[in-house]
Amino acid sequence: MAVQVKKVLRPPPQITSWRSGLAIIAGLWVTTRHLIANLFGFIRGRQDFTVYYPEQRFLHAPALRGMPVLVQMENGRERCVACGLCEWACPTSCICIFPAETDSEVERYPEIFDIDMTRCMFCGLCEEACPEEAIVMSRQIEISTYSRGGSLWHKEDLLVPESRLRTRIDFLRSQYGR
Amino acid sequence: MEDRNDSPPDREPAPPLMEKVLAALGELVIEYHRERGDDRIHVARENIAAAAQILRDSPGLSFDMLIDVTAIDYCGQPDGFRFQAPIMDQNRPIARRVSHSRHRVAMPERGPLPRFAVVYHLLSTALIHRLRIKCRVPEEDPAIPTVTGIWPGANWLERETYDLYGIRFSGHPDLRRIFLYDEFVGHPLRKDYGKQEEQPIQEYVGPGGHLPRRPYIGRTGQD
Amino acid sequence: MSDPADISPAGHISGAPGRIEPSEPGELPTPPMRLQFGPSHPATHGTVRIMLELEGEKILNADVQVGYLHRGFEKECESGYYYQNIPYTDRLNYSSPILCNIGYCMAVEKLAGIAITERCRYVRVIAGELSRIADHLLCIGASCLELAAMTPFLYLLEARELVWDLLDALCGSRVTTNYIRIGGVAADLPDGFADFCRRKLDGAMKLLHDAEKLLTGNPIFRERMEGTGTLSAAELIAYGVTGPVLRAAGVPLDLRRVEPYLVYDRLDFDVPVGEHGDNFDRYLVRVEEIRQSRRMALQCLDQIQPGPVDVDDPRFRWPGKNRVFNRMEELIDQFMLVVEENGLMPAGEAYFAIEGGNGEFGFYLVSDGTGKPYKCRVRGPSLCNMHPLARMIIGRQLADIIPTFDMINMIGGECDR
Repeated sequence: MAVQVKKVLRPPPQITSWRSGLAIIAGLWVTTRHLIANLFGFIRGRQDFTVYYPEQRFLHAPALRGMPVLVQMENGRERCVACGLCEWACPTSCICIFPAETDSEVERYPEIFDIDMTRCMFCGLCEEACPEEAIVMSRQIEISTYSRGGSLWHKEDLLVPESRLRTRIDFLRSQYGR
Repeated sequence: MEDRNDSPPDREPAPPLMEKVLAALGELVIEYHRERGDDRIHVARENIAAAAQILRDSPGLSFDMLIDVTAIDYCGQPDGFRFQAPIMDQNRPIARRVSHSRHRVAMPERGPLPRFAVVYHLLSTALIHRLRIKCRVPEEDPAIPTVTGIWPGANWLERETYDLYGIRFSGHPDLRRIFLYDEFVGHPLRKDYGKQEEQPIQEYVGPGGHLPRRPYIGRTGQD
Repeated sequence: MSDPADISPAGHISGAPGRIEPSEPGELPTPPMRLQFGPSHPATHGTVRIMLELEGEKILNADVQVGYLHRGFEKECESGYYYQNIPYTDRLNYSSPILCNIGYCMAVEKLAGIAITERCRYVRVIAGELSRIADHLLCIGASCLELAAMTPFLYLLEARELVWDLLDALCGSRVTTNYIRIGGVAADLPDGFADFCRRKLDGAMKLLHDAEKLLTGNPIFRERMEGTGTLSAAELIAYGVTGPVLRAAGVPLDLRRVEPYLVYDRLDFDVPVGEHGDNFDRYLVRVEEIRQSRRMALQCLDQIQPGPVDVDDPRFRWPGKNRVFNRMEELIDQFMLVVEENGLMPAGEAYFAIEGGNGEFGFYLVSDGTGKPYKCRVRGPSLCNMHPLARMIIGRQLADIIPTFDMINMIGGECDR
């Protein structure tokens, strides 16, 4: 295949010529076209490009990485077995896990599972490291709080039923074969 | 692709660029390697300016662009790292609120060689080949002649190396810190500077520092 | 300028200002005016402080001071595993983060000796070129804004939004992409991405065309861009300047052309060069590069073949989850890879450079055989490109700083690290 070196074309100098007036008229034509399209575009069903945020929301792709949450199974328990891989993979050390033992067949569960959302940078490495599909990135991105303490999310805040995480889990499963 | 640090240099067939470099520099080259496709020569630190001049001006080499200047704190170890550095701390506490211990960088064992290496990356924009030069610099006297007269772009790169590693470039026209403030104590990229080390904010002494300043009054609130 | 060694660096401004001898007899000598330009000046997109000495509007001396965004990236990298540093590289050049991801991962792959798959190469080129389009759109748009042209800024930012929609669909995030992995990518192209990409890029190109109509012929824009910030090719090379700034001076140094990596040797594209080396040429080169990047991305979408995107190497790439969930060996591999205590990276060093948004973006990695880099050096183009700024503006007018600084396109993240 050919890679060529091409000299960029520079329009002739036109500071004092009649062409500069022409260029301004051409620019005015462009802005007028945009103005008319924005004013009367609604007749042809044109949407505003701006999103009026609290009333309207962005339509995000299925790949969106929001805040990390814990998957809650149908029996109300978390799927996490407290293996600690997400804690280890986290670049910012924002996850803190205290494991404990249980009598059910998984044998281990996290007694404490805290995520410090002031440190979390939504990179998604915890989700990639998890061998149980227990921590996933949700579609929740609005997590501001009124106090600093509110940014420390505990296990009970993080648990989200699996049915509400369908989009992300379906996206993840589509990537499993890679 | 494998690391060829263990093989003696004379047994290795020299690639064409390296032959040209060796012919041009002659006795100035202490040793040379080809590792992962990169050519690398080692030069004594007092010869760096002479070697740089030859490398820039030889017609077959014409390294007219200095890509990068940096340093490595080898702690006296050889370049190939034949030791296994005990950097991981095994006694990681299990119970803690915020885990910092995994991020601790331990100081590797000291070796007998000079501690630092200053690394230059060169590129020839006409002939498109690259070369890396390494100069070992001891800890007691971390100084090396500047190459600012050969590539003026070395000015800021050497200032950065001085700032972060504390290596002085003798003959540099304007050697001062570039990223950190002038009152900063120590050189943060050295291995003995801890990652979690903190320094109090120093009083500003630069131009205009004599002017009276209003103290910052923070908002007092809960939490 | 025959010998680059003759170039004297701009001096450090300190002490009492000197004095300007009067041009007319009978007037008194005056000291030059000291002006502090920055650190957060409304007409610069970047945190940099320029100490100026002025005689009227003419710049007598300039001292460019960078470092306001120094975050200790290299120190941070030394204490994280190789895979943990990928999200940090997003924050280097935050207007083209995927290019930083690619540079870092390819340097690690060179260090480890990994050969990535064919499909992965194409996916990386597509993502990287989209990111480059976003970078150049932001650069041109922000320059217009700082030259008081609000309308093209809005058009170009709208075009960048369209490109970001593509990156959002690809990476799950618009800015902090964290998309490239060592030995692969985080996720394959989504279904229907080729059509989506063509549609969005067509919309972006329309907007770029409109903005170009507003700018290229505009006498005010040309008055401020033409002939300002000029520096000869020999001087730029001596200062280590790369990227569009060097190409605008007529040197066709594009690493995609001279040292083709990934699949750039299979693509058909032009390398735009200028001839005057002034700000207007830099603008024209960037506009043309956006077109060429779109061409490359579309060619890749045509050429890409189905196949695995990840290298099947259990030493470096985390295995696919369907195998982790169902097989013991891969589960063990997953644990070993996340907890890289045993150290899988061979000892040694490697330097790898890609063509970033502003020039040669290189990573120099030194490994001691453990799971963490012993040294991770970033050769960001902005630091070397900012260095000759003082030479470009000394002797010029005060107002020339703005277009020159904008067309250098300093990104604080990669300049100060």
